[in-house]
This record gives sequence, C-alpha cells and structure tokens, in this order.
Amino acid sequence: MGNSPEDKDLVAQTLSGERDAFGVLVERYAAQARRVARAVLGDPDDADDAAQDGFLSALVKLAQYDARRPFGPWLMRIVANAATDRRRRRTVRRAEPLDTSLVGGGPRPDAAAVRSELGDRLRSALAELPERRRTAVVLFDVEGYSHAEIAGILGIPEGTVRSEVFHARRRLRTLLADWKEQAR
Amino acid sequence: MKNEPSFDHRPDPELGGVLRAALEPRGDHAAFVARVMAQYERALDRATIPALDILASWFRPGIAVAAAALVAGFLFGRSILTPVRAPAPASIEAAMAPAEGPGGAGLAALVTADDPPDASVVYASLVDQR
Repeated sequence: MGNSPEDKDLVAQTLSGERDAFGVLVERYAAQARRVARAVLGDPDDADDAAQDGFLSALVKLAQYDARRPFGPWLMRIVANAATDRRRRRTVRRAEPLDTSLVGGGPRPDAAAVRSELGDRLRSALAELPERRRTAVVLFDVEGYSHAEIAGILGIPEGTVRSEVFHARRRLRTLLADWKEQAR
Repeated sequence: MKNEPSFDHRPDPELGGVLRAALEPRGDHAAFVARVMAQYERALDRATIPALDILASWFRPGIAVAAAALVAGFLFGRSILTPVRAPAPASIEAAMAPAEGPGGAGLAALVTADDPPDASVVYASLVDQR
C-alpha cells in the first residue's frame, strides 16, 4: 500500500528538482486521491479540484515528509484536509448541506443500469453519513489502510476509527443487502 | 461480505469493491495527472515567494533588535567593569575626619581613593602640628 521504497526515492528526486519524479507520484496516487476526495465531497468535479489542491499542497510541503514513514497516508491526510477545506468553503458559499443530487455525478446513460443504480444508492448512503465516517470506511475498505494509518490521516484516535468504520459498514451493508434482495 | 454487526478488523472486499466502483473518478486519469502537473511550477513559485517575503519581513526587525541588544549589552558591560572613582580628599583633615557613622566616609574615601592625597597637604598638616 504505497510503502514501496520507490516512493521515498521519488520524493527525494522531486526535492532535488526532478519534476518527472513528482509526476510519477501523481500518476501512482491520483485514483486513490480522487476517490478519497470524492468520499468527502460527493461531487466528482469538486473532488478532482480538491485532489489537485492536495497534490500541489503536498508538493509544497514535500520537505516536511518523513521518509521513514509510508508516503500514502501522509499524502492522503493532505488530500482529505484539502477536500474538507473545500467542503467547508462550499457549505459557506451555498449555505446548505451536501447536495445529494450532485452525488451521482450527473446524468448517466441508461445502459449502465444495475451497477449504476447500486452506485447511486451507495453514493447517496455515503452522503448521508457524517464526513469522518464515510472517509474512514473508504480509507479502510476501499484503500486498504490500517486503523492506525487512518487515525493518522484523520487525526483521531484509533478506537474512534474502529467505531466510525463499524457504523458506516452497518449502514452500507444494510443498503447492499436490501439491494441484493430487490435484485432477486 | 458479513452480515453480522460485530466488528471485523479486515477490509471487506465486497463492500470495498462496490464502494470503489461507486467512487471511481469519471474523468480521464491521464488528463487529471496532466492537469496537476500543469500547475507544478506555479505551485512552487507561489510557495517560494511568500516564504522569502516572510523571511525578509522577519530579517529587518531582527537586525534592529540585534543592534539594540548589542548597544545595551555594551553599555551594561561598561557600567559593570568601570570602577567607581571616589574623589580624592582635599586635605588630610578631610581624609582623616571621623566619619558620621561607623567606618565613615572620610577614612573610606582615603582608603578607597584611586589617587593618593596631595603630598603638600600631608606635609602642611605635619608642620602645623609642630
């Protein structure tokens, strides 16, 4: 999970001015950063903006990265913070809660049908969860981070991470079970 | 996927799979990478210029404070190291006059004076006594 020696080598190369090394890091973590940002924000366009903010913020702070630790959690913390900041700004701007109509990411072709419907339901269910809860479950079940790493990313105790993942899973598993039942 | 509510320390592959699909970015991966890298130099520039400004803004008052501290230290050190010069007594009577209190100022002035009393004053007082 992103703890390969190449990460720290790429960081060192970036710090010595090698632009392409940072490009490899972006390439490597882009999908994960975009998913995590989307878990926080819901809207895919906002999520991409936040993921970009996160990468550029990480670039600026790269000298602060401790090469003895895995790069992924360090980067995801910055991305999650960038997404949270963007969400706060958006909430202030719109003065309204997360718009669940945005969660699906706009209209989809009918051909996507079943999988798309489940995706929409999951995104809606995620949007109803508290931000920290949905971010925790995505980091754990989608991105494979440990509880300790998620605690570091979200800046909360490990026990709280376990609790958040537990409650998020319970809600999402219920939804998934209902969907399976309907699909029969 | 497990349906029991008890906590499982392992990632749930089924739930993880459907969540991953639900959160998968819409746009082109390469386009996103290119978009980030297009901001590479700008991000570094933005980070460098304010940092230099901040350092410069710290530098100016820092110099002023350091100069003031040097001057204050010099004056303080000089005041400590320079001995207080007691005025030399004008006559032997003045030098030997009994003090108003114990260990009086007249004797103290003679003993602590840096300059010896004028010899003519001493001899004059001896001649007068004879």
